[in-house]
Amino acid sequence: MDITCETQGPVCIMRVISDRIDAAIAIQFKDLFRDMVACVTGPVVLDLGQVTFLDSSGLGAVVAARKLLGADRTLELAGLNPAVEKVMQLTRMNTVFLIHPDRDAALAAHGVAPAA
Amino acid sequence: MTNLAVASCGSPAGAPPLVIGWCHRMEITATRDQVSRALTRLNQQLIGLGLDPDALIRMELVLAEALNNIVEHAYCDAGHGNIALEASVHSNTFWCHLTDSGRPMPGGKLPPARRYDLGALDVQDLPEGGFGWGLIHDLTSSLTYDRSGAQNRLALTIDLDC
Repeated sequence: MDITCETQGPVCIMRVISDRIDAAIAIQFKDLFRDMVACVTGPVVLDLGQVTFLDSSGLGAVVAARKLLGADRTLELAGLNPAVEKVMQLTRMNTVFLIHPDRDAALAAHGVAPAA
Repeated sequence: MTNLAVASCGSPAGAPPLVIGWCHRMEITATRDQVSRALTRLNQQLIGLGLDPDALIRMELVLAEALNNIVEHAYCDAGHGNIALEASVHSNTFWCHLTDSGRPMPGGKLPPARRYDLGALDVQDLPEGGFGWGLIHDLTSSLTYDRSGAQNRLALTIDLDC
C-alpha cells in the first residue's frame, strides 16, 4: 500500500493507494500516515476512493490517524465506496468524520475550485 | 479424506436444499495476511454467483471480523495454527462454519457487541478497536459458538436478500 500527498490551497489530500485497509495492513497504514502528516499543516482529507474494503482494524487505523492530528486539526474523508460506507454507518463513525462524496467536493468545501 | 471433504460440503443439517449450489471449503494458516488473501479469493468466487453487492459486502465483513478475531485472540497472533472455513449458499442464506484449535472464547461464550456513545467522547478518547463483535452480531441472522474438545466452532448465517 501507499499514500500520496497533494496540497491544494489550505488542504492536504492524502490518497490511499490500496484496495483494502484491513487487519493485514492497518499498522502499515498508521505508520505511513504518521510519517506523512508530520510534514504538513492544516486540514487533511483522506481520499479513500480506491479502497473497496475496510474492516474494523482498518477503521481503527483511520481513527488513530484522526487522533494523530489532534483536536485543533481535522481529518475529513472523501470517496467512500459502499463497503467502506457500510462500516462507517454500522459503527456510527460517520457521525465523527466529515465525509465528502469525492475529492473535488472536499476541495470545494475548503474553497478550492476543481481543476478545469 | 475425499469423502469427508464432500460430506462437509453438503447441506448442513436442517438447511434447505442447495439452490444456487455453491459450497467451498478452505484451510488457512492463522495470520492476518492469509486472512486477507483468503477473503479476496472467496469474494471473487462469490461475485461469480451474481449475488447482491450489499450481500457480498456483509459476507466479507463478517468473515474478516470472525477470522481476524481467531488470528488475534484464539491464536494470539502467533503466526501459526489452522483455521478451517466451510461456506455454502442455500437459496437466500449464506452459511459458514469456522473451526480452529486456539484458545477458547473468554468465559466459553460469544463476546457481546460493544457499543460506544461516540458523541460523548473527545477526539483523543475515540475507540480504535472493539467494533468487531458488534459488526458480526449486526450482520448475521444466526450465530452460535461451541467448544468441542480442543476446538472452537463458530457457525453463522447471513441473510442474502435483506
